[in-house]
Amino acid sequence: MTAATNSWIGDLVQQHLDAAYNLSRWLLGNEQDAADAVHDAYVRAARAAHTYAGGNARAWWLAIVRNCCLANLATRKRETHLRSVEATLEPPTPRDAESGVHADQCRSLIADHLRSLPAEFREVLVLRELEDLSYREIADVLDVPIGTVMSRLSRGRAMLQRALADIGDAAQEKPHGL
Amino acid sequence: MDCKTAAALLEAYLDNELDRDTAREVEKHLDACADCREALSKLDEVRIALRDTKLRYVAPNDLRERLFKESHATTRAARGRWLALAASLVVAFAAGGLFVSIGHDRATVIGDQTIRDAFASHWRALAATSPVDVVSTDRHTVKPWFEGKVSQAPQVRDFADQGFPLVGGRIDYLGDLRVPALVYRHGQHLIDVFVVPADAVTKNESVDDRGYALRTFAMGDQHAIVVSDLDEHEFGAFAALLSQR
Repeated sequence: MTAATNSWIGDLVQQHLDAAYNLSRWLLGNEQDAADAVHDAYVRAARAAHTYAGGNARAWWLAIVRNCCLANLATRKRETHLRSVEATLEPPTPRDAESGVHADQCRSLIADHLRSLPAEFREVLVLRELEDLSYREIADVLDVPIGTVMSRLSRGRAMLQRALADIGDAAQEKPHGL
Repeated sequence: MDCKTAAALLEAYLDNELDRDTAREVEKHLDACADCREALSKLDEVRIALRDTKLRYVAPNDLRERLFKESHATTRAARGRWLALAASLVVAFAAGGLFVSIGHDRATVIGDQTIRDAFASHWRALAATSPVDVVSTDRHTVKPWFEGKVSQAPQVRDFADQGFPLVGGRIDYLGDLRVPALVYRHGQHLIDVFVVPADAVTKNESVDDRGYALRTFAMGDQHAIVVSDLDEHEFGAFAALLSQR
């Protein structure tokens, strides 16, 4: 590992640190595991810098981050067969049934719904909508064909659309928070 | 275009993944079809709900600092090893009268590696489904896209009127330089313009490889490394455009 590769990896990681953390946080569900996975990913990226064969560097880096997250999930699965990913997610924000549905609550409802989606749909939505990756970049990160990205995105959106419609109905029932 | 076709393309349209002609076809259909407009706005609602910035987690500061420290620690250690190696070469040189050729290139000066990387980047772009990361014929979109991604955003100009329309931009590595690339088209030819600091180019390079040519030009206070399969005459015309202020 030369100083030069190290500094470009360092630059790359710093530049896309929020993207890496956001992906990791949505996949792993808690702060500590998310930060550890990103740290592991940095170490792996620095070691594997020479294998970077050109192309989109952000997708290359996020693919490493994702692999570290999957490794973390696999370890968890080994450690306890009973604890599912969802079990380690923080509980949904409690909502006061009396207070109606405000903007903040809509947001947390959407977050809850996104969190409860199966990981394969959650990750494409996070990469597309929160990180603004193109189909091709997402396909590179996930190492799947673009067609798969499109169908997962489409199904994930349909699930959230239904959830949003439910939120809308709830808001209509109690428009003034009474 | 009928509803069935349009409906299948709506998401790709929303995601800006359609080529211009197909996007136009979809728009034409949307103008005439209220159902598809409704479907598109439903999709857009999901997007708006998700893009709410509060859903995006931001890396905690301690993680940022930890990685920053580590990347600097290893860089220093690696530099130490290089200095040791350099010192041993000097000793070997002095002791044995060995001829040691140490590249005169500083990390930021373009050399053979940079030139190879520039060709490689160009060929990758030709093989990829899209040669650009930001598609735009509008320089006011391309320039801000670079800002924050590279240390010095390049000047972006469109030469569509002169037959060299701007297609977009991307970022690539030449050696260890993170470099903005402006992409132009001339007829069927794709032109990559890698913009590097002026002090990275010590002499004008002119290299040909497998039917493609690389030339360097001064461009204001920056330098351009241009790779394309333009002929000599077209290259000249393009260089004149680039170097005019």
